[in-house]
Amino acid sequence: MAMIEFRRIRKEFGDVTVIPDMSLTIDDGEFVSLLGPSGCGKSTTLFMLAGIYLPSGGDLLFDGARVNEVEARDRNVGIVFQSYALYPHMTVFKNIAFPLRFKKLPDSEVSRRVRDAAELVRVTELLERRPEQLSGGQQQRVALARALVKDPALLLLDEPLSNLDATLRLAMRTEIKALQERLKVTTVLVTHDQVEATTMADRIVCMADGRIEQIGTPDDLYRRPASRFVAAFVGSPPINLLDADAANGRLVVNGHRLALEGEPASGEVILGIRPEHLHFMAAGGVACRIEQIEPMGRETLYVADSPMGRLRVLEGGAGSRHAPGDSLRVGFLPEHVLLFERGRETLIPGARAAVRDG
Amino acid sequence: MAAAGIDAVRTDAQRHWDELAAKARRSRRAKDASLFTFLIAVSIPIIVPYFWLLTLAFSAGMEGVDTRVLWPSIFILVPAVVATWVWAILARTRRHAMTGWGVIWLVTIVIYAVVVGPDLHLYNFRFLYIPEFNTAYREIVAAEDNPEFSLTSFPSVWTAFWNSLFIAGAATLIVVTISSLAGYYISRFQYRFRGSSLATMLVLHAFPTTVLLIPIFIVMWQIGLLDTLTGVMLVIVGIEMPFAVFIMKGFFDAVPWEIEMSALTDGATRRQAFVKVVLPQVSNGMIAVAVFVFIRGWEEFIFVLTLLSSNVRWTMSLYTFFVTEETNLGVDYGIVSAVGLFYIIPSFLLYTIAQKYLLQMTVGGLKG
Repeated sequence: MAMIEFRRIRKEFGDVTVIPDMSLTIDDGEFVSLLGPSGCGKSTTLFMLAGIYLPSGGDLLFDGARVNEVEARDRNVGIVFQSYALYPHMTVFKNIAFPLRFKKLPDSEVSRRVRDAAELVRVTELLERRPEQLSGGQQQRVALARALVKDPALLLLDEPLSNLDATLRLAMRTEIKALQERLKVTTVLVTHDQVEATTMADRIVCMADGRIEQIGTPDDLYRRPASRFVAAFVGSPPINLLDADAANGRLVVNGHRLALEGEPASGEVILGIRPEHLHFMAAGGVACRIEQIEPMGRETLYVADSPMGRLRVLEGGAGSRHAPGDSLRVGFLPEHVLLFERGRETLIPGARAAVRDG
Repeated sequence: MAAAGIDAVRTDAQRHWDELAAKARRSRRAKDASLFTFLIAVSIPIIVPYFWLLTLAFSAGMEGVDTRVLWPSIFILVPAVVATWVWAILARTRRHAMTGWGVIWLVTIVIYAVVVGPDLHLYNFRFLYIPEFNTAYREIVAAEDNPEFSLTSFPSVWTAFWNSLFIAGAATLIVVTISSLAGYYISRFQYRFRGSSLATMLVLHAFPTTVLLIPIFIVMWQIGLLDTLTGVMLVIVGIEMPFAVFIMKGFFDAVPWEIEMSALTDGATRRQAFVKVVLPQVSNGMIAVAVFVFIRGWEEFIFVLTLLSSNVRWTMSLYTFFVTEETNLGVDYGIVSAVGLFYIIPSFLLYTIAQKYLLQMTVGGLKG
């Protein structure tokens, strides 16, 4: 178990700066997810933790001690790759035993620990097979057992679920989370899938272009996204974002006027409101016309045109109650509105907007 | 009445379809037949020389080419081989195929034993146990003690055999070792001039090596490796290395990075990761490179002819060449064939054993 600290970490590859300046603390036993689109530097961060990449600057600390130059094999880190990276020429038993080969343990001890690890992820009956004889889910479990067999101080998961089919992904998600809670091992998960991040992690580090956009609980990221990027990246279907101008307590969205409430805002802003926070109503609100309907099972997504612009509206309950061409009115609660500064793209905390009556 | 009309229409339609199906079958058979005829026709000039070699080695005597054995053998064996191929295509199941082949070869062997059998002998292989070639084959001439004939002095065939084995074996060992290490480095590391060095390496392989004959001779003479097996071996290493490195690079490219990273975090050093995790994944490539280099060393002729002069350093290729060369005494085709057969056995065995690895060569890919 270990507490991890990034202090002003920088990483360059030749002339390309992947991570300009990163500071982050991960508590002992915490499950943290690095979330971001591909190329945002999350895998680079993971490989620096594993000791495969050397940071170009700054300090990386494990339990307060600087480990920048400590080699991968001395860090006691277990890692699970997206491709599982099992050794194809070894049996499952030998794969799981591989990390123990370098510890000079007696055979009986190795055998016992391999069996314990195999039991943990339920692959005991597969020990004599070779990786190519296993299904994707089984390979995933073996990779997990191999990462856990040496009691790592830190467990790293590099998009571990993206090669699995949807049902299996759901099952493994639950299983990995349960395992982590039981073993209390500090875990870092790298993913571009927001659902994976929000369902498994205690805290999410949302990254873009090598910078941390926001650190927070899944709830924080959803309710109070620190920037336009986080708001757009977290949440499905994606949030409605509309350019607007704020002045004198008024918000003008595409010529349509709303009232500004809460913290004052002025200048060019972006209005964000999630599809699930919009609702159709008989009177009040903003007039709109339904253009398209996308049934999603439990919910239905409507795409509607309004004077403010095109809006995605999510309504609960199976079956659509409206048809394309219907003219309706759409409304929202002021506390659900997010306003971002245009340019810096950051949230203006406490600023809200409401539909003006009349 | 109406019902009978419908039936008639139906059978007419059926007949129409049957005709079309028969036509399709006929055209498919005609295509197959012409393809196989073509393949067999072009293969015969390739397989006949091998039969020739085989037959002569076991039958010819001192009196020259003995067509009495040669043509009957070819007329018996070639149809048997062709029949084997044709049966391989026609047979429906594996057991069916095996039975057919058994019958074909049983009949062939019986006919062969009856027709050619009495003329076969192993006398041509006496060079294997009589150490001095001239006493074995040129005794008549030697007895005459005619000073006009300056006989080439032959070493024992086993000396030539071990010399060839040394050149081919040592070259293989060195090329496989260095090309594995170099291929790994080129595949995994970025360094200046990486692309251009790869391109240069391939261009080197494109030159005909014969143009280097004289320069290499001079270099060998200057560094004192002329007329040594080590010298020839190093030349072969130099010629084969670029392509071997390139092939190995292709195989290493196919090994994912993650597997190595995984080994490193599992506690291996860089070297342990290479030996225990990466090398086993490219073993097919190493076997392929080994076979090609070995065969290249085994068959090397032009450099051994140029760089070696003492007869105790003859290789199998030189031995075979000089057996053929003694024309002023008349060539003994029986012994030439027997030596030739002895010469090709190691290559043949190696190819047969390594065949399945060689077929996987393309798996490594050759992308830059």
